[in-house]
Amino acid sequence: MFTRTDDRITATQAAVFLNNTVLGAGILTLPRSVSEAVKTPDSWLSVLLGGVIVMAVVTLMVKISQQFPGKTIFQYAGTIVGRVPGAFLCLLLIIYFLIIAGFEIRSLAEVTLFFLLEGTPIWAIILPFIWVGSYLVYGGINAIARVFQIIFPISIMILLICYGFSLRLFDINNLRPVLGSGILPVLSGLKSTVLVYTGCEVVMTLVAFMQQPRQAVKAMLVGIGIPIGLYLLTVVMVIGGVSIDSAITSTWPTIDLIRSFEIPGFLFERMEFPLMVIWLMQMFCNFCSFFFQASLGISQIFRLRVHTVIYLLVPVIFISTMVPKSVNELFSLGDMIGKAGIVLFLLIPLMLSVIWLIRTKGLKQHV
Amino acid sequence: MCRRLMPLILCLFLLTVTQSGCWSSKEIEDLALYTGLALDTGKLTKAEQELEEQGVTYSKRDKVTATVQIVPVKTPGMEKKGGPQPLHYLNISGTGDSVFEIFRQYSIRNERPIVGHHLKIIVVSTELLKRQSMEQLMDFVLRDNDIRPSTMVFISQSRAEETLVSKRTDEIPSFHLRDMIQGQKRTSKVMKPVILSELDALMHAKRSYALQNLVTADGETEFTGAAVVKGDTGHWIGTLSQEDTECLSWLTNKSKAGAIKAYDQDNEPMTYEMKDMKSKIKARIDGDDISFDVSIKTEGRLIETWNSSSDADSTEYTEKVEHIFGAKLEKMTEKMMEKLQKEYKADVAGFGDALSIQYPRVWKKVQDHWDDTFSRSKINIKYDLKINDFGSFTE
Repeated sequence: MFTRTDDRITATQAAVFLNNTVLGAGILTLPRSVSEAVKTPDSWLSVLLGGVIVMAVVTLMVKISQQFPGKTIFQYAGTIVGRVPGAFLCLLLIIYFLIIAGFEIRSLAEVTLFFLLEGTPIWAIILPFIWVGSYLVYGGINAIARVFQIIFPISIMILLICYGFSLRLFDINNLRPVLGSGILPVLSGLKSTVLVYTGCEVVMTLVAFMQQPRQAVKAMLVGIGIPIGLYLLTVVMVIGGVSIDSAITSTWPTIDLIRSFEIPGFLFERMEFPLMVIWLMQMFCNFCSFFFQASLGISQIFRLRVHTVIYLLVPVIFISTMVPKSVNELFSLGDMIGKAGIVLFLLIPLMLSVIWLIRTKGLKQHV
Repeated sequence: MCRRLMPLILCLFLLTVTQSGCWSSKEIEDLALYTGLALDTGKLTKAEQELEEQGVTYSKRDKVTATVQIVPVKTPGMEKKGGPQPLHYLNISGTGDSVFEIFRQYSIRNERPIVGHHLKIIVVSTELLKRQSMEQLMDFVLRDNDIRPSTMVFISQSRAEETLVSKRTDEIPSFHLRDMIQGQKRTSKVMKPVILSELDALMHAKRSYALQNLVTADGETEFTGAAVVKGDTGHWIGTLSQEDTECLSWLTNKSKAGAIKAYDQDNEPMTYEMKDMKSKIKARIDGDDISFDVSIKTEGRLIETWNSSSDADSTEYTEKVEHIFGAKLEKMTEKMMEKLQKEYKADVAGFGDALSIQYPRVWKKVQDHWDDTFSRSKINIKYDLKINDFGSFTE
């Protein structure tokens, strides 16, 4: 076998990579989960505020990664906190990635089963996705980034077209009053908005693959900015279109918004089918990204060949996909991922930065 | 050799699996699409009665009769020439106490399974809504994955299944009803249709609401007035007349169209055609007292007068006519408000929305018993009616 020398991505590719990692199944349930927590039409403020926090965290992640050019978190965590604690942290991160990968595929399968392919066995939907995903991950980061670049404009375009058509239902009064019950509900909504931004952790490996790591801050902020903008748009359109009360009672509020109108005479009379089919690709991107991160992490920690790890992970991901027994369990798993995400992606970069600062600046050690 | 051959065989194998087509595909010819659903109080159909006499039944209470309209019954071209034209639709009914169970029960009588992807309208009879709440009746419809939230919901004064029958053989009643809402461009007596996702929100918020009322007579169905459903109970409590419905549409800014007819000093009719309509509700808080200031502004033209002695050009005359129409509009609106506040005690005109946007803190305190508070609130309405056009005929 030969080693690939082109395992580098451009700044644009990195931005798209981050975007396609973060933007996924969350868009389908976000309006409900936020509204449930906020209970006022101010949920969009929670999304925005959550986005600002995530942007700050992303910047921190980039900064710490830039101190170790060409190294991923799995390599430099050990250098900062010592080999064993570092490996432990990375293992946590890997398990986390594997659970999200399973979560994404399962959400994809649940939506498909409910709206598109009623009657198809769930494994028949999940397995092909895992197989195709492992084939893509096998090709390395460059191949993945190229696929993402192809899918990104298509899925965004379809999403925006759908929202454009849903304007006919939009009523600004559904979004009023702004801050009618003060700022507290907005803050309580933060915990559910953070879930939709899970996946940011990939920044800590992505920077290592960039051709010009100096552009990392800009690229990563753009990469996280697009999902923030789209999530904001989603919440505004759904709450404005079907009001907060309907968003709370609906299992998949975003799809219900698109299902609330028909466009006679247009190419597609019903926009939910193009949206769902395209969005499956987006969720596939999500899955591939997490799959890649997990396999990369294991191969770097245990010094295994990455291709072997990919094969070994296929059954693991399948099991992680099939663990939730029902949609309700899936959603509570989602909440758990969100909480774990807060710990992992606030704690790890923060802790690493603090320890690194103490060791280099305080103790003048050469790390 | 083996290394080369194995992937090839695997690929070929995969190809044969995928080529056989979609896993859960169903041919559209083998499905019965239903486009209309009518819910009535439980009354056994003739066939059901005879079946039950023979002891054919299952454990149920006869609370609701669900009628679905299936299209098309036959593929065109199969019909014989001459004789009466066959109907393009088929209505089948079932009785029970679970809408879903009734739907599944159709399958022991019909050859094709029914699917709800193309459901356009749901009609609920007032009689049923007196006994069951809207939440109970709509529960299955909202949960089902086939039925779209864009389905429109109407109320029928008589039995709802009658609205799905038409004298005209060449049309499908449920499509006909769906298309009839286009009339709202011409008259505000046709309300903006309430779709399932809106209804879902209204029910969750426990707000009272008005739905388009249907009346059938001699095989024809007409949109007449509105049915008021009380939010806290989900039961039907009364109907609004055609003129009340018009005022309601104007007050809630849902319609800019319509006509106002009044009688002049010689008791001859004259009619005002509305060109523009803007209404605004402003809440006022005074201690614990909640009152509303409403302004209704409209512009339009004098489109018809039967009084030949009129002198249209003078400003004096314009003012006089404006005054007559304004008085009529005031009378109509007051009648409607009286009904909402005193008779039904139900806010279907969006006063609660106005309060919740303008005074969210006050709204929080009163929202649980809003209909009650609303019925006691004082409402001042200011009217501003302007005629700026007399049409192309000046005599």
